[in-house]
Amino acid sequence: MRQLILTACTWVLCTFSSAAETPDIDQIVDTHVLPGYERLVSLAQDLTAAANLDCSLDNDTLRTAYHDAFDAWVSVSHLRFGPSEQSNRAFALAFWPDTRGVTPRTLSAMIAAEDNVLETPDVFATASVAARGFYALEFLLYDPAFADQTTADYRCLLVQAIALDIERNAAAILSDWRTGYADLMRQAGQNETYRSDLEAAQQFFTSLSTGLEFTSDMRLGRPMGTFDRPRPNRAEVRRSGRSLRHVVLSLRATRDLARLLSDGDATLDAAFARSLQLANDLNDPVFAGVSTPQGRFEVEALKQSIDDIRALVATQLGPKLGVAAGFNSLDGD
Amino acid sequence: MKWISCAKCSLAVLLGLGSGAMADEQGGKTAVLNTYADIAQAKYNDSLILAERLKTAVDALVAAPSAEALQNAKDAWVAARVPYQQSEVYRFGNPIVDDWEGKVNAWPLDEGLIDYVDASYGGPSDENDFAVLNVVANPSFVLSGQQIDATTITPALLSETLHEADGIEANVATGYHAIEFLLWGQDLNGHGPGAGNRPWTDFATDDACTNGNCDRRAQYLQAATDLLISDLEWITAQWAAEGEARTTLLADENAGIIAILTGMGSLSYGEQAGERMRLGLMLNDPEEEHDCFSDNTHNSHYYDGLGIQNVYLGEYVRIDGTIVSGPSVSDLVVATDPELDAEMQEKLSATMMALGRIKTAAEAGFAYDQMLERGNEAGEALIMGGVNGLIDQTRSIERVVAALDLDQIEFEGSDSLDNPDAVFQ
Repeated sequence: MRQLILTACTWVLCTFSSAAETPDIDQIVDTHVLPGYERLVSLAQDLTAAANLDCSLDNDTLRTAYHDAFDAWVSVSHLRFGPSEQSNRAFALAFWPDTRGVTPRTLSAMIAAEDNVLETPDVFATASVAARGFYALEFLLYDPAFADQTTADYRCLLVQAIALDIERNAAAILSDWRTGYADLMRQAGQNETYRSDLEAAQQFFTSLSTGLEFTSDMRLGRPMGTFDRPRPNRAEVRRSGRSLRHVVLSLRATRDLARLLSDGDATLDAAFARSLQLANDLNDPVFAGVSTPQGRFEVEALKQSIDDIRALVATQLGPKLGVAAGFNSLDGD
Repeated sequence: MKWISCAKCSLAVLLGLGSGAMADEQGGKTAVLNTYADIAQAKYNDSLILAERLKTAVDALVAAPSAEALQNAKDAWVAARVPYQQSEVYRFGNPIVDDWEGKVNAWPLDEGLIDYVDASYGGPSDENDFAVLNVVANPSFVLSGQQIDATTITPALLSETLHEADGIEANVATGYHAIEFLLWGQDLNGHGPGAGNRPWTDFATDDACTNGNCDRRAQYLQAATDLLISDLEWITAQWAAEGEARTTLLADENAGIIAILTGMGSLSYGEQAGERMRLGLMLNDPEEEHDCFSDNTHNSHYYDGLGIQNVYLGEYVRIDGTIVSGPSVSDLVVATDPELDAEMQEKLSATMMALGRIKTAAEAGFAYDQMLERGNEAGEALIMGGVNGLIDQTRSIERVVAALDLDQIEFEGSDSLDNPDAVFQ
């Protein structure tokens, strides 16, 4: 029941007629959005360079570059609108959750057939999103089943193609922000995309609440499963040991956005601090502990603390701003 | 139904719940909610009527299997989808519908749970141990450590034991898509032309039986069809005069209007534009289409869109041609912001035009799974036209919510939402 209500509260559509405090949209764009994408582009360039230099699996430089670039992506992954939605860029960077195991299936088929989709970056950009981006790259770099495939040359070309595709998508998002989208938000009220400051504020508010919902329901909820049937194998990026790291990174990023939206509201910030403390204390990098009562209890406590932030966002911050979250991609099944 | 709504609005006046103007406005919202509930009842009742016709065709197929009898059953299934898909707009705003709909329209499914599949389908997967259980071929099997007796395939076996077995959503044992699989079989044509091509002899009663266990396959088909009927009877009753869906909706006018708009927006954006259309395109997967066995996806998308539009306009054409109509959300918006209403109507029409293009091309022979092929630019443009229309109309739905000033939504039963301070205690 609780689950249902909290899901409901993310699409809360009500508006609040009381006097609203408009957040500083310029500041959010300049200190939160643009630097985040600049970091992603820079680290994605490093990843491409590392893959081109040496694509062997035991190459620590490549793995470090992969982790760094992926960190940068997770830190902007809540900004699912505008340039990141254009041309399915965000999906191509990050196809997860993969509830039907499409990524390993697609990669295997591609490798087995030595699919000529690697010919040029433009052709690769037409490939299934399941075989592109950070999550596909994780299988290639960390799953022994792929390391054992005999077509090592093709695997290497595939790693390089995915890295370059990540860089191109990241660069395209940043470019769109710089060459127009940032201005649409700064000049809200003077264009059709954002007809008022309130609509621009609502966009960021939706990003905040959707980012928190994703972390709670997907990053934590999927491996937790049910008490009788925990699903540790569903933990996000468990092969590279990054599951908990994603929770921490997304909490940090959404905390920053929450500060900017709330003008540094202390109660809300304290709620984030509490979640981050629980995450830091959780000695379970891939949530393997969800199968044991104690381990599950700890993951559940972390999830609950994030749901508490979501409650504050919906009932305190929303009314304060005079907005509520719009629809998001998690609204369906 | 009308009488009840009038009784409620006059009661509100008697209780002094507002000024005259407010009472009018509240009566207006109640009238809108009643239209919405009337349309729901009509859509589910139409779905029920056509499910009963499907049963007649299925029974005829089982009694006297033939190519013609199988085709009649398929035709009845396609017709049955027309009103049902238009009802999907009721899902996300009404928890009673959303909790129920998985029984009748769950998708996508690991069809190997039900019957034989091609070798290319694969075996048990990381996500699902029962992806190739094949109940039709196995009268007895072990499920989550329990020995299951499936000697007779009954509606109860399907709904209580098999459906979502092991907590896996892809274990779809009931509903339209299970029936679709039994009638059409797997579509093994990939991105090429053609739908599933199950031979009618899969239901033959004598030596002509192909692929084994024809009697059990027929039993499964009849059980699933019976179950569909009883499930549709139940939901239709929930929308009747004293039904739970209707009374819940009418309990709070603003929450009721929010429910309407939530259903419209969630189906438009997260579900249809995202999960059902864009995802399949991004994955280039011919199995990522809503009606993958029958190649009827173009119709499913079209009637989903039509349902969103007719709920906003408060006007539904029943399967017998009669019209159910009344005060609508559109009327409420006109009273507040006529320009926004025009915008909303225009966006809904644009979406229907785009979904109509997909339907037109598909009916002329360019099937939906062909549109999904990598590098098929015409197909991508058709599908993205629908996706963009749906995304665009979602923005206007959000504006409608803002314009109608629907106040606070209720967060019943959650301590942390009712009392945020409790979070830190």
